Amino acid sequence: MADARVHIDLRDLQGDILRAYGNDYDHTSYAFVKITCPPEQARAWFSGLLDHVTTAEPWKDGKPVTTLNVAVTAAGLKALGVSDEVVASFSAEFREGMSSRAERLGDTGVSDPGAWERGLGDGSAHVLLTINAQEAEDHRRALGLMRAAMDDAGGLEIVFQQDTALLTGAREHFGYADGFAQPAVQGASDDKAPGGGVPEEDGRWRALAPGEFVLGYPDEDTRDDPKRTLPNAPADPLGKSGTYMVWRKLYQDVALWRRVMADAAELYQAGDEHKLAAKVVGRWTDGTPLVTHPDKPDPDFDATARGANDFRYSSDSDGMRCPLGSHIRRSNPRDALGFQGALTFRHRMIRRGMPYGDPLPDGKPDDRADRGLVFVSFQASISRQFEAVQMQWLNDGNIFGLGHDKDFLLGDPEGTGKMTIQGRPPFFLAPMEAVVKTRGGEYLFVPGVSALAAIADGTTG
Amino acid sequence: MSTAPSAGPITATGTPSERNIDGQAIAITVFSTVKWWGRAFLPVLFNVTKRTPKLTTTIVQLSFIHFARWSLVTKIPYNGAPQPKQRLRYPHMYFESNFNGGWEEYIDAFSHILTSGMAAFWGSSYGFPKALPVGPFKAYIKENEIANSHYYSAYPEATITMVKAALDLDDKLAPLRRSAKGMQPDAFARAYEKMLTDAQRSL
Repeated sequence: MADARVHIDLRDLQGDILRAYGNDYDHTSYAFVKITCPPEQARAWFSGLLDHVTTAEPWKDGKPVTTLNVAVTAAGLKALGVSDEVVASFSAEFREGMSSRAERLGDTGVSDPGAWERGLGDGSAHVLLTINAQEAEDHRRALGLMRAAMDDAGGLEIVFQQDTALLTGAREHFGYADGFAQPAVQGASDDKAPGGGVPEEDGRWRALAPGEFVLGYPDEDTRDDPKRTLPNAPADPLGKSGTYMVWRKLYQDVALWRRVMADAAELYQAGDEHKLAAKVVGRWTDGTPLVTHPDKPDPDFDATARGANDFRYSSDSDGMRCPLGSHIRRSNPRDALGFQGALTFRHRMIRRGMPYGDPLPDGKPDDRADRGLVFVSFQASISRQFEAVQMQWLNDGNIFGLGHDKDFLLGDPEGTGKMTIQGRPPFFLAPMEAVVKTRGGEYLFVPGVSALAAIADGTTG
Repeated sequence: MSTAPSAGPITATGTPSERNIDGQAIAITVFSTVKWWGRAFLPVLFNVTKRTPKLTTTIVQLSFIHFARWSLVTKIPYNGAPQPKQRLRYPHMYFESNFNGGWEEYIDAFSHILTSGMAAFWGSSYGFPKALPVGPFKAYIKENEIANSHYYSAYPEATITMVKAALDLDDKLAPLRRSAKGMQPDAFARAYEKMLTDAQRSL
């Protein structure tokens, strides 16, 4: 259900941003392309992609078997011939790139960019092609076509490619249902407002202004501005219908996570390691929130049902049900910081992550395989949304009254953070080695459809 | 570094931002040029705010703000040569505050939560664009913010919330510390657990 007062030009917006393609697409590949040829040659190849780009327009003839979406880094814009002046109109953090901001993101120690995988964070990634497919065969065919087009064009090289596939039950590798709690966006997903929007005083929720996630539209700051000013955006035509994208490869040490939880649970409530892990996450594995079901999961919980995320933290201000430092409470504190969400509503992100690697079956010893999550978020401001959450809420505990404690699930690369699980008496999780490590990442820009055409035509100003 | 548009004589040295940070604490110092009527209005506003604690309840609740102080500067003190004597043609508002967290989040809190208060304090300053939308307000603060020449924090690793938690913990630990010596192990375990339960918000 969409708010009729807000019209979003879905033909100009790339797909999978405001509305997910959905779990029918269980194969996704992310290919980072480096441009080594002159801009004119690269633009000819880029132009050839445009007919295949999947927009946000509703599908009239059913879901396509594959989708294609395109994003560019700051270096990529330059390699495609966008002028320095236009590139300078993009946000500073985008221009600097993720690896330059490693310290503030907590990408230190084992997550330091020096140890990232080749092709990520070293300036060689220019264009990101994201291919989704419903069937493995279609996936292979789409990848083949992508490579053939690159070979034909010449002067292009895939510097990093990550293939991903959904795990059974849309779980991530630690076993938790993931990705179903998303911000409600005015004009796109107003029906998700209960639990997905901004918590209001009267118990209701309000969907977020589209400009929080798509440039060229009013955001939460300007939605009521009588002058109808729009938030900061790159110079036109790139500023319309674009969004910033954060891409991170996060390795998950499943064996270590299980061991830490099992060892710690020996001292916790008769060895209940599932409950202990749920306390760390803030949800049971099926997604049931702890704040509403602190003792056991709700057998009828349906993550996709309307109202599945309709909960607040004000009734649990002491964290007895859902710990103050649990992962979901930190990443989206809703009303937990008081003031009807006024300290939280500008820091929301749309997430479109995908797990990569084969799962480690329960009870199996550590196989040292590469597995984890490709974290993808879309937001109008990387610094205000992604970086603020990462820095202030996940890598620091001060705002929650938790001192230097960091998010225990994502872990502390320095291995110094503990976690307090509120209770009578409280339980303390000792600092552990990081179970999640950053293996690489990029800040990207996802241009609108007309902006893609302008880049291809070399008419970005 | 930037100064208020008509505050020519007021200058500061040092690199912005870096000079305003010491460990967990961040300082913000803003000079703004005040219109003629602010000279009469602001002292009244300061007085009323000081005498009515209810007006400042919200800012006190924002635990990441150590303090916020607004004052009116009507002349530059003269400390003798070589300092040149300076005369201010307009009064200036001097705002100083210390906080933890991010600069952006700090201004967001002022804009979204203390909206009317900001209008009252800065409304008489030239160029004040209103507290909302926050974009122009942030630009205004940035334009008028000056870098510190020196900034010092006694506990650079701690935030004010942490210092307060440590003091609270100390209070709650003290009785156990006093009584623990003569306790049997069982009694100590019970007393220790009780202390943990009582003090968990500070741990």
